[in-house]
Amino acid sequence: MIAFDRVSLALGSFRLNDVSLTINKGDYYFIVGPSGAGKTVLLEAIAGLHRPERGRILLRDEEITTLPPEKRGVALVYQDYSLFPNMTVVDNVGYGLRVRGMQKEEARSEVAGLLERFGISHLADRYPGTLSGGEQQRVALARAVAVKPDILLLDEPLSALDPITQEKFIDDLQRLHREDNLTIVQVSHSRREANLLATRVAVIIDGTLVDEGMADIVLNTPRSREVASFVGMGNILDGAVTANEDGHATVDVGGRAFEALTEAAAGEEVTLCIRADDVVLAVGDGRRSSARNTMAGTIIRIVENGPVAEVKVDCGIALTAVLTRRSVRDLSLVPGTPVTLSVKATAIHVIRG
Amino acid sequence: MKTETLSGDLLLGDGEVTLPWWKQRRRQHIDWCTLWFCIMGAALVGITVLAIANIAMAEIANPAHLLDVALSSEVIGSILLTFGAGANAVLLLILFGTPLAYVLARSRPSRFKGLVESIVDLPLILPHTVAGLLVYLLFMRRGWLGAPLSDIGLAFEDAYPGTVIAMLFVSSPFYVNTMREGFEKVPVHLENVARTLGAGTFTTFRTVTLPLSFRHMYNGAIFAWGRAIGEFAGVIMIAYYPFIISTLIYYSFTTDGIHASRSIAFTVILVSFAVFYILRRMTRFMGRYDDRV
Repeated sequence: MIAFDRVSLALGSFRLNDVSLTINKGDYYFIVGPSGAGKTVLLEAIAGLHRPERGRILLRDEEITTLPPEKRGVALVYQDYSLFPNMTVVDNVGYGLRVRGMQKEEARSEVAGLLERFGISHLADRYPGTLSGGEQQRVALARAVAVKPDILLLDEPLSALDPITQEKFIDDLQRLHREDNLTIVQVSHSRREANLLATRVAVIIDGTLVDEGMADIVLNTPRSREVASFVGMGNILDGAVTANEDGHATVDVGGRAFEALTEAAAGEEVTLCIRADDVVLAVGDGRRSSARNTMAGTIIRIVENGPVAEVKVDCGIALTAVLTRRSVRDLSLVPGTPVTLSVKATAIHVIRG
Repeated sequence: MKTETLSGDLLLGDGEVTLPWWKQRRRQHIDWCTLWFCIMGAALVGITVLAIANIAMAEIANPAHLLDVALSSEVIGSILLTFGAGANAVLLLILFGTPLAYVLARSRPSRFKGLVESIVDLPLILPHTVAGLLVYLLFMRRGWLGAPLSDIGLAFEDAYPGTVIAMLFVSSPFYVNTMREGFEKVPVHLENVARTLGAGTFTTFRTVTLPLSFRHMYNGAIFAWGRAIGEFAGVIMIAYYPFIISTLIYYSFTTDGIHASRSIAFTVILVSFAVFYILRRMTRFMGRYDDRV
């Protein structure tokens, strides 16, 4: 539907380099990356707010590189919602309809329907400065949807909300995507949001698109160490393949042998990525197990985080496991406890080269 | 029930002690910083008040003469001419200065932008006589702009347009800089959202940016108007006639003496104070959309 073909642009000292991506109709497309990576600039470039220095932007195979934002059929919702402070909720939601020349009566009934749909009818005559964050967000979303955009662009819409409002809003977005078959492009630095909502993901780091594709593939089988780090691989280990029998490789990591599935040949340098929640801990002798990688170690640190705990284990190399806090309590785990750590060979993603 | 203790403190029914007012006052924290700021500020305001009181005392002593001067057609005509020419200059500033202020607010820093900003500020730092001379040389009958404009019937020397153009020149930085500040305070995100919702650049400016900068526009216009109607040296170079109020006071001072010019000056002070006080009061609720909480 919309495609970037080697697009580069400069904004002050920041540069977006050679970005190529394709967003198809009906995609819930996530642009993820660390802060300052250029996610919002990329989103604004899709909206037509920045003109590329090089490259082409195509919409339904037609070049729109220099097409102004008002003619692109997109609607943008910023992180701060950017409601017009001089207009009431009704006027904010109806803004797009008015500037597009819709008759007053028609616009009024359209807006009334939207207010009803987003549950904000009671806020109709209020000014944005008097609304809570959640209310402002609903108004911003209603305003964007009012113009029936081909693509809805969302810039970190959940980051300023409390957890309960976040959950409600995620439901709203899922419903919008499903029921309206709306193409949504969302910028986020949250892996959780990407896991929940995305059908496709692009990872951008320092102005360069480093990975792009189906959400499952990008999030679970990253192509590079940087992406692995960003998508939440708790254990990223550099090593070298010592043997490989029919794709079942043995990898030496700091003197420890790991078994993993890869086509990498003996002698090849690789990076092993293991999610912390794929690491299992056992107390006592847990060596008889189907897991191909078991090793003894000692707990060096436990950090509790909500219902789970991150447990750091020294087994020659440092590995992190994520356990429920209940497991930590049941097994009486404390720093210094000797444990046996196991990882299935299939749970290890190998990055070659 | 209240009873008095040996130390003079009041004891309430539940055993709570309330200090008498003289002790309460002593215990209040004094913010010395704010107090000194107030004293220093009062000194500044005091000079103006003293100067006005000085002239007022002399004028109130002879109300008949004051009324005579204030109601004379010459003074009323001159005040109206001054205020009118100032308003004309401000209207031209709104028309030409608003787009300039917007471009300056939204353009990225560059050498060229720095140069334009310096040119905008130039009338601020020039002696008023130099400003007057610049305007005169450009708009006199043989001037670069004066010559072709007088060919089509628009003369500036000793004419109303000359007064307006001189006022425009000296007051332009006040309007442009205030307006630019206002535009800079409107988040670009609001304009971006309006654009994606279907508004073109001008519609976005008209419906979002300008309404949100209205308070600055109003204040900038007041500053510029105030500066324009107070101008003397800049105006007399190109338009000694018709008499604006500052020229009339100078003329009266040099021909009729201090007594006559003082009465005109006091009349101008009263009228200007009343007008500016009302204009300032009108900005109180302007551009504050969150006061309805």
